[in-house]
Amino acid sequence: MSEAGTETVAAEAGAAPEKVTPGRLVLRHMLGHRATTAALAGIVLMILVAIFAPLLAPYDPNYANVLHRHQGPSWVHLLGADGIGRDTLSRIIYGTRTAVWTSFESVALALVVGVPIGLLVGFLGGWWDRLAMRVTDIFQSIPSLIFAFALIAVLGRGTNQTALAVAIVFAVILMRIARALALREREFLYVDAARVAGMPTWHILFREILPNTVGPIIVEAAIMLGSAIMIITMLSFLGLGLDATVVDWGSMLDEARNYQATHPYLALPPGLAIIFAVLMFNFAGDGLRDALAGKQSARRAPRRRKKPGSAAGAVAAAELPAPDVIAVRGLKVEFPGGEAGAKPLEILSDVSFSLRRGETLGLVGESGSGKSMSALSLLGLVPTPGEVTSGEILFGGRDLAALPEAELAAIRGREIAMIFQDSIAGFSPVHTIGEQLAEPLRIHKGLGEAEAKARVVELLDLVGVPNARERIDDYPHQFSGGMAQRASIAMALSCGPRVLLADEPTTALDVTIQAQVLDLLGDLQRRFDMSVLLITHDLGVVAETCDRVVVMYAGQIVEEGAVADVLSRPRHPYTYALLTATPREDVRMDRLPTVPGSVPPPWAWPRGCRFMPRCAFARAECGQGPVPFVGGTRCLRAGELQLEVVR
Amino acid sequence: MRRLILLRLGMSLVSLVLAAAFVFFLIQLSPVDPVVLALGEGAEPQRLDAMRRELGLDQPYVVQFLSWFAGILRGDFGTSFFTHRAVLETLLERLPVTISLLVGGGAIAIVVGLAAGFAAGLRPGGWMDRVVTSAVSLALAVPGFWFALMLGLLFAVELRLLPVAGYVAFEDGPLLWLQSLVLPCVALALHGMAVIGRHTRGVVIDVLGSPFIEAIRARGTPPGRIVRRYVLKNAMVPVLPVIGVQLAIIIATSSVMEKVFVLPGLGTLMVASVISSDFPTLQGAIVVIAAMVILINLLVDLGLGLLDPRVRPQ
Repeated sequence: MSEAGTETVAAEAGAAPEKVTPGRLVLRHMLGHRATTAALAGIVLMILVAIFAPLLAPYDPNYANVLHRHQGPSWVHLLGADGIGRDTLSRIIYGTRTAVWTSFESVALALVVGVPIGLLVGFLGGWWDRLAMRVTDIFQSIPSLIFAFALIAVLGRGTNQTALAVAIVFAVILMRIARALALREREFLYVDAARVAGMPTWHILFREILPNTVGPIIVEAAIMLGSAIMIITMLSFLGLGLDATVVDWGSMLDEARNYQATHPYLALPPGLAIIFAVLMFNFAGDGLRDALAGKQSARRAPRRRKKPGSAAGAVAAAELPAPDVIAVRGLKVEFPGGEAGAKPLEILSDVSFSLRRGETLGLVGESGSGKSMSALSLLGLVPTPGEVTSGEILFGGRDLAALPEAELAAIRGREIAMIFQDSIAGFSPVHTIGEQLAEPLRIHKGLGEAEAKARVVELLDLVGVPNARERIDDYPHQFSGGMAQRASIAMALSCGPRVLLADEPTTALDVTIQAQVLDLLGDLQRRFDMSVLLITHDLGVVAETCDRVVVMYAGQIVEEGAVADVLSRPRHPYTYALLTATPREDVRMDRLPTVPGSVPPPWAWPRGCRFMPRCAFARAECGQGPVPFVGGTRCLRAGELQLEVVR
Repeated sequence: MRRLILLRLGMSLVSLVLAAAFVFFLIQLSPVDPVVLALGEGAEPQRLDAMRRELGLDQPYVVQFLSWFAGILRGDFGTSFFTHRAVLETLLERLPVTISLLVGGGAIAIVVGLAAGFAAGLRPGGWMDRVVTSAVSLALAVPGFWFALMLGLLFAVELRLLPVAGYVAFEDGPLLWLQSLVLPCVALALHGMAVIGRHTRGVVIDVLGSPFIEAIRARGTPPGRIVRRYVLKNAMVPVLPVIGVQLAIIIATSSVMEKVFVLPGLGTLMVASVISSDFPTLQGAIVVIAAMVILINLLVDLGLGLLDPRVRPQ
């Protein structure tokens, strides 16, 4: 199950790294790969049984004692005897020898032939590659087993012939894999370097490329060993396989088939032997693949501490002050911290801010500061396995942090809409833009298909998408980034939301398009009387478009205030650092202004002031404990520092 | 879409010619001389030569291939050295069994595989996911023919619900025909089901993690609608080619089920032809199977064209 479990993690846990100490890492590695260890032990066991078969088997596997025909398990025949009185245990043991030998033989041959050819054609490219690919394309129309039939027709029947036939089938597959790997490696710098250094092709292939591709090839080979056993027993069962004198599981099953009605037990031992062997090779291959990919064992989501639908929602509503549309109070978002019992990771700590009616609030910070997470939590969209574990999000008489999913869905897109940085990636690639834009109208406003379509065309006109009537039948990949962002703005506005969350809406766009989109947003905000939460790392954008600004660092709000104040007289050294890293006010940045260093990951956040390691003004007392948010800033030295920005 | 159909149709024909040529020339490598086989070891050289001339075996291989392939296009697959029957006649006799197995086994593998994959992938880590992933690992290690024996033991020998073996043609009784196919189809579907299920699960998890799902949730689309409308269609794009490959494997492994359940299909015909070195029959059967696989690949490509606008030629 190793593979299955870890896939989940890859999808879920990308955002939540955890505290890792070397001891824990080793422990987790061993625990996580217990199945792999067991599988490797199983394989070693099979190899030992194969080698020492003559010592282990109680009887000659071909010695038939007619008197013991069809005997069940007993002290004489531990697994019973077959239809002509041969000892089943001995036959299983010698069958192991055959299975191990034929599968290793065929996979080894396939590796020796397929991998070098694949690496070579992939590395050389051009005609060689095209020719080889044309040939292997043939095998897309001839299934492996049928190809093996044809090969056996040519090679004749027998143990080595069968192994050779299977080897040829696998060589073709390995060749394709090796080729693909070589094509990928060819693009890397080290190959160029080797070429420039004048190394011969064989040296580059076997000394440079092969070591870098050996991992995936070994994984494939491990799984192929299992397939080899499966195919060879299948061929043998069909009567195409091995020499009559060779004892193997496939022919044992073939014989068992004849006694199916009278002695069904006979089919059990060879079947279980095959299952065991194939399972071991598959687990070993999967475990190896996971280990190479650096995957870790699955982790569970924490118990949701803030119960949805709690009664607090309605009560809290009354406290919302008049100018505020949304008020966030003491929001905490946590991710599970690795293995069971570990402390959860706090991604957002005590985040409080409010968005007023008709204003544009800038939410600023470097990547990793928690800006996007704050916006997503407003809509109840914290990615799993993260959870809002405490705090309130007050909106329209409700606490969004406590609402059940169905009620949140009714608010999303209708009362609070959101647009994202990469707008093309925000559309389903296999549905037309028109279908997708119509969806909020159809869900939230109950519009019919034709009505919704007409409205979508109007909206696209409004946001300045030319030829709207034709373009609604286009797919997202046919839109430019700027046009897609306009389309997503049109969709966000379609239901007349009171709040628009804009998560870096212009970051992915060209500078000229950025200005157009920002102007459009400002224009629409006034027209629709919306409140906008503009997430950005660009202080130029904040200066131009926002009324107030909230600065975030490492999951906390570090400063808040009116744009004019914060930008000219910052009170937190982080804001100051961001501002001084911005070269000129009139030039909008398309890159993050650089403050030396970077935001530490959540598991490395300091206990005291989180900015302390990068702060030019830090003192010893800054590291002693959490810094409270007082008077619009989270800095112990706010009273004494004079952080004037000179431009 | 019309351009895509024409393009893929052309490519399919090329694939068929290449596959036929490959099989033909591969079989020519055999050390077995069919004429000696037909006339016996001790036949006089003149008789051997006469038969070679008669069958066109004295011609260069390329000429032989062209006349053989041209014959196939006309519906003439040649004559068996062994039974002296027209190969086409034998193939047509056997084809209904193979097609029944493909359709039955394929349908079970697709339906159960997709359902299990979605059930597991929509709630990764849940109990359903654990059941499905365990079942998949086990199913991939169980040899299909052993599973078939066990099914036969349980449902035919013990419970006597279904026939142990044998095939009844559809014309001779639709119900009996269906009964004779249930166990083979279930056994045949086992691996395909597991592979489709595992792949679907992974794809569903990937799709759920993609940015557009977050954006669609932010629009207020209800979860059920997201799955039905967006996850389903987006997930089918990478799953469809896997289904195609599994159907091809089902055609191949039906030979094993034919042996277990004594069904007269193309698989046992091929096995018998390999054993008796009946090359015209073997070649013919492989070409028919290649044609079926190519047709499946064509349908998969067209299905992808319908699902995904990005693969349609502009």
